[in-house]
Amino acid sequence: MLVGLEARPIHVEADISRGGDVKFFLVGLAATTVKEARERVRSAIKNSGLEYPRTRFTVNLAPAELRKEGSGLDLPIAVAIALAQARRPPPPQSAFLGELALDGAVRHVDGVLVAARGLRDFGYKRVFVPAEDASEAALVDGLEVIPCESLSAVVMHLLGTEQIAAAAQNLSALPEHIAAEHDLAEVHGQEEAKRALEVAAGGGHHLLLSGPPGAGKTMLARCLPSILPPLELQEALEVAQLRSLLGELPHDRPLDWTRPFRAPHHSVSTAGLIGGGSRLALPGEISRAHHGVLFLDELAEFQTAVLQALRQPLESGRVSITRSGGSVAYPARFSLVAATNPCPCGWGGDDLRTCRCTPGAIDTYQRRLSGPLLDRIDLQVSVCRVPIEALASEPRGEPSSLVRERVIHARRRQIERQGALNSQLKPGRLRQLAPLAPGSRRTLERWSAQRGLTARGFHRAWRVARTAADLDGSDEVLEHHILEALGFRLQDVAA
Amino acid sequence: MAIVGSRRPSPYGEAVAEQLGLELARAGVVVVSGLALGIDAAAHRGALNGGGVTVAVMGTGVDVIYPVAHTVLAESILAAGGALVSQFPDGTAPRRHNFPARNFTMAAISDVVVVVEAAEGSGALITAEAALDLHKEVMAVPGSVFSPLSVGTHSLLRDGAGLVQNARDVLALLNRGGEVLDDPLATPQTLGFRLRPERDGILSHLSDVLALNAAELARKLQLPVAEVLGRLTALELDGAVRRHQGGYVRALRRGKERA
Repeated sequence: MLVGLEARPIHVEADISRGGDVKFFLVGLAATTVKEARERVRSAIKNSGLEYPRTRFTVNLAPAELRKEGSGLDLPIAVAIALAQARRPPPPQSAFLGELALDGAVRHVDGVLVAARGLRDFGYKRVFVPAEDASEAALVDGLEVIPCESLSAVVMHLLGTEQIAAAAQNLSALPEHIAAEHDLAEVHGQEEAKRALEVAAGGGHHLLLSGPPGAGKTMLARCLPSILPPLELQEALEVAQLRSLLGELPHDRPLDWTRPFRAPHHSVSTAGLIGGGSRLALPGEISRAHHGVLFLDELAEFQTAVLQALRQPLESGRVSITRSGGSVAYPARFSLVAATNPCPCGWGGDDLRTCRCTPGAIDTYQRRLSGPLLDRIDLQVSVCRVPIEALASEPRGEPSSLVRERVIHARRRQIERQGALNSQLKPGRLRQLAPLAPGSRRTLERWSAQRGLTARGFHRAWRVARTAADLDGSDEVLEHHILEALGFRLQDVAA
Repeated sequence: MAIVGSRRPSPYGEAVAEQLGLELARAGVVVVSGLALGIDAAAHRGALNGGGVTVAVMGTGVDVIYPVAHTVLAESILAAGGALVSQFPDGTAPRRHNFPARNFTMAAISDVVVVVEAAEGSGALITAEAALDLHKEVMAVPGSVFSPLSVGTHSLLRDGAGLVQNARDVLALLNRGGEVLDDPLATPQTLGFRLRPERDGILSHLSDVLALNAAELARKLQLPVAEVLGRLTALELDGAVRRHQGGYVRALRRGKERA
C-alpha cells in the first residue's frame, strides 16, 4: 500500500477452518474499497476454475493498526486464499499487487512503480504485478517482475504447473536527440527574453515575463524545456514515480527523458496546485512539474491564497501536505515561469494601443504581484510585442540545441563546483563560491542603496550574476555579470 | 499660470513640466496645477525646486490629499508659501465627476494654461477647453509624433494654441520676458555626466519619449544582448537612462542638480 511516495508492505494471511458455514471474514482495518474485495475475490476465484473454501475462513491484513485502502490488495488476498486452500506455503520474498476483475483477470492499479521501488528497498526479490503495469515495475533494478494476466495464471505459476516469464528490465537508453515541442528558433526577435530564459535555465532560476497580450510570453515559456538538459536517470525515475502514483504513466514508454511542462489555469485551487485529496493528499501541479517547468500565465489572476501556498515549495523544493489520513511529502523542485500583463487591460507600454487603466488600478494590480512571491523570482523581463509587419524582418533565433549546449556546460560547472545549481546556493556558500571583484561589489552595493534592496534581493541578484559568469565560463563574478543580473530586476524602482 | 498634462507621462513630459515649473517659478510666476500624479506633480516639484510659490487646485476637500503618496508634496507646497485650494467642502473624497469642475477652476484662476503631454480625451484637454471658454491663453508643448501622449497637445497646437519650447515662450506671452534661461530641451550630454565612450553609443540611440528595449539596441549596435543589458544598467545606476514601458529612455530630469 502507498502512503504518498512511501510504500508500506501489507502481510496477507489466510486461515481456513475445518467447519462452520461458508463465511469470509476480512480483518485488519480494511477501508471500503478493501472490504469490497471480498466480493471480487469470491467471483474471481470461482470464475478462474479454482476451488473456493466451503467452510468458514479468515483473511488478516497486517499490520492491523494501518488503515488499508485501494484495490491493489485483491490479488494478494485471492492468492493467499488459493494457496491456503491448496495447503501450500507462500513463495519466499514475493509481493503481489493488482485488482481483480470478476472473471479473474488482473487489472491495472496506480503507483506500481512506487510500490515496486519500495518493495525492493524492503528486501523483496520478486513482485507480481498486473501485466499492463509490468513495464513500470521493470524500471526498478534488482527486482524480478512477474506480469500477471489472470488469477489462474498466477496460481498455476505458484503451484509450479505453468511458468510465467519475468519481464525484462526496461531502462530505455537515453536518446541522442530529444525532439522538443517548441524551439527557440521559431521565436522572432525577443532577444532580451531569450537571454533571460537562457540564464534561468543555466542556473535553475525562476522567471517572470511581463508584457502585453500576444507578445509571445506563452511561446517563450514553452521553449524553456527545449533548452534544459534532458533528465538524468534518477530524475526521470522520480518523475515517473509521481506519474505512476497518479496513474498517468504511459505503458508503452514509462520512462520519459523530456522535462515536464505544466501550465495550470489561473482558476486552479490550492489543492490542485500544491496537492490535496480527501484522506491522503495526491501530488498537485507543482509536483507534476518536478524537475521541469511550472508555467503560471496571468499571474495576477491567481487567487492570492494559492500563490502564497507556493512559497514553501519554491524555497525548499518539497511540499508536505497534511490531510485526515496523515501527512505526506512530495518533491516539487521546478523552474517557475510566470507571465503577467503590465496592467489590467494589458496594453500598458504597448506602442500600438493605448492603455486605458487608471494609475490607481495599475497600482492595485501590480501590488497583487509584488511582495513575497515576486521577491522569490530571480529574473524579471519585459516582453514587447513585435508588430506583425516587422515579424518578417526580425531575425530568427538561435536554435534551442545551441543554447542548450551552453546551459549544460554552465550547469556542469556548477555541479562540479558546489554540487547544486546556483539558485540553491545559501548566502554563506555564495560568498565563498562567487567572489565578487571589487568593482562588481561596489556596483551591487550602489544599486542596493539606490533601490532599497532587501538582503534577499541582494543575494538573488548575486546568484543570477554567478550564473551569468558560469555561462561565460568565468570563475570570478565580474562587473558586467552583476550589471546584467541587475538588468533583470524589474521590480526595483528608483526612489 | 497652470501646467497640466497626463497622469502617466513619458520621462520627456515629466522633465519638461519640471523644467517649466522651475524656470517660471524663478521668474516669479505662480505655478498652478492639480496635485495629480505625473505632469502635475512634476510642475509642482519644479516650482518648489525653483524656490517659487505654487498652488494646487484639488478635486477633493483640502483636507483629503489625493493621491495619498503626495502628502509630502502637499506639505512642501504649504511650507514654501503656496496654497492648497478646493471648491469642495472638507472631507470630500475623490470622485470621478468632481475632477472636471476642478479643471475648470484651475483654468479660471490662471492667466495661461500650458498643456504638457495629453492623450486623446485627457483631463488636461478639459482644462484647456475651459480656458478657451474663459478667454484665457492656451499653450502646448510638442512631443513625438509617434507618442499617443502627443495627440492631445498637437491637436491644440493645430487649433492655434501657443507653442512652448521653453519658459521664455510662456513669459513672452505674459510680457515678462527678458531673463536668460536654460534651454529646457538640452540634451543629456550637456547635463554634466562623464560618459564612458562605449556607453555614449547607447545613449545616442535612445529617445527621450519612446522606449527602446535592450534587444532593439543590441541589434542596432551589433552587440550581444547580455552586454547591452549590462551597459544599460550601468547607465541606469548613473541616472542617465530610465526604464519606461518595458524599455529604456534617456533620463532628462536631473532635478536639483540643475536647479
